[in-house]
Amino acid sequence: MNVLNFDSKQCERVRRQLDAYLSNELLVETTSEVLRHLESCEACSLELDARMRLRKALRKAADQRVPPEHLREAISRRLRREQPGLFGEFRVIPWAVALASLVLVVVAAQQGFRLQRGRQLVSSVLAIGVSDHIQCAIKGHNYPQVASPPDQLRKKLGPEYAGLLPIVQEKLPAFQVLEAHICQVPGSSRNYVHFITRGQGTILSVILTRREGESLPSGRFLVASAPAGVDLYKAQLEGMNVAGFESNEYFGFVVSDLGQDEMVRIATGLAPALRDALNKGAGTEKAATPGFQIDFVSIGYNSAWAARKWDGQSVA
Amino acid sequence: MHVEDFEAAAMPHLADLYRSASLLIRDSSEAEDLVQEVYLEAWKSFHRFEPGTNCRAWLFKILFHRLHHVRRRLIKASRVEAFASPGGEDNFMAEPPVPQDIRDEDVLLALAKVPMEFRETVLMADVEEFSYREIAETMRIPLGTVMSRLSRGRKLLRAELAEVARSFGIKQRGKGAGQGESA
Repeated sequence: MNVLNFDSKQCERVRRQLDAYLSNELLVETTSEVLRHLESCEACSLELDARMRLRKALRKAADQRVPPEHLREAISRRLRREQPGLFGEFRVIPWAVALASLVLVVVAAQQGFRLQRGRQLVSSVLAIGVSDHIQCAIKGHNYPQVASPPDQLRKKLGPEYAGLLPIVQEKLPAFQVLEAHICQVPGSSRNYVHFITRGQGTILSVILTRREGESLPSGRFLVASAPAGVDLYKAQLEGMNVAGFESNEYFGFVVSDLGQDEMVRIATGLAPALRDALNKGAGTEKAATPGFQIDFVSIGYNSAWAARKWDGQSVA
Repeated sequence: MHVEDFEAAAMPHLADLYRSASLLIRDSSEAEDLVQEVYLEAWKSFHRFEPGTNCRAWLFKILFHRLHHVRRRLIKASRVEAFASPGGEDNFMAEPPVPQDIRDEDVLLALAKVPMEFRETVLMADVEEFSYREIAETMRIPLGTVMSRLSRGRKLLRAELAEVARSFGIKQRGKGAGQGESA
């Protein structure tokens, strides 16, 4: 065996990089530093060979595990027996689902009479956010794959709401704002400000809409009080989790299919800053002429449902 | 949404998913069940999948989610701490040699002895060839944890392989190869 004469510090540094080097995760500069060392150091070069040999052997051995013949067919059979996700069906039979959702609302309204008024109110208010999220973001898919540039989003939001964009961006560090606009609910005078974000493997909406005299009940319906004194409410509706809060003039909703605790956590970070900005004057003028509108007619928006909930008719 | 669209996007990854599942679960019929469950869950939430994004990574994410869920129920005590303790810092200059000719069954035997957390990461990086970032997202662990688990996992695999080779009396051929590190 050769007598190896190496600079142990240099070797140590390079060997700490070998894992990342093997996975091709090093910066170009570091890679060339490693390569330079390997050229002159036989010990490290042999070590790299050993690691590469092991990785190659692992890949080769792993490739022996091939799925049995019947597995593909078994999966295909089961896929055809199972229904896809609820909202997948929307695209296939929108009218049937619209009808079903109307029936659900009627049933929910009937059952609602037996529930306490406070709980009803919380659900019906939070359902606005869920409905908007499903109709515009999920069903309508009104967002680009690649985030629109911030100046374009600010333009869509108009001067009244543009100041909210950096707040949403800052307070949702794990999410990227893909789209921001103002939506008009057809058949109703209601508008809402809509931020559509992507992160944690899903789409999350932040929705702000005027309270128009409605308010969420205080006391035992709260799920959490954020440190800055913002009361939060939560609900699970239509397969989505929603956390809501209110400012002097607005309701705010954070909606996605992430878990309830996660939604409360996200809303806890976001709600105080949004509420403060709204109370300090963002959106104080009624958004009668929004900068950008989504046309819901083309996506079969269930306006009767949204308007009904908004008018508070489902709350006895 | 048609099942054919889903199959076109997802079925090409069946072999990869099965390969990893079968290396993480000892019982092959359980591995088949797991892969079937992954496909069913993916199909049910296919409306959340964005066309053009990485379908393979998405399927692996579901795989690990289910795998961890099952494991949490089955295993109460975790062995991670014992292996991940910083006190176990390796002497990087004294790694065991890697045999020149390695039999598939020896590698698989050695791999099966590597604790699960490390085995998963080594498989994801070295067999499935995901990037560190993709592994972090798929397994829902921080990037730094990916790096430390991969480094530790490769070392553990190497040590187990040396042990297997020794116990099976495999003679190393080729003098010096893989021994440069034991200076």
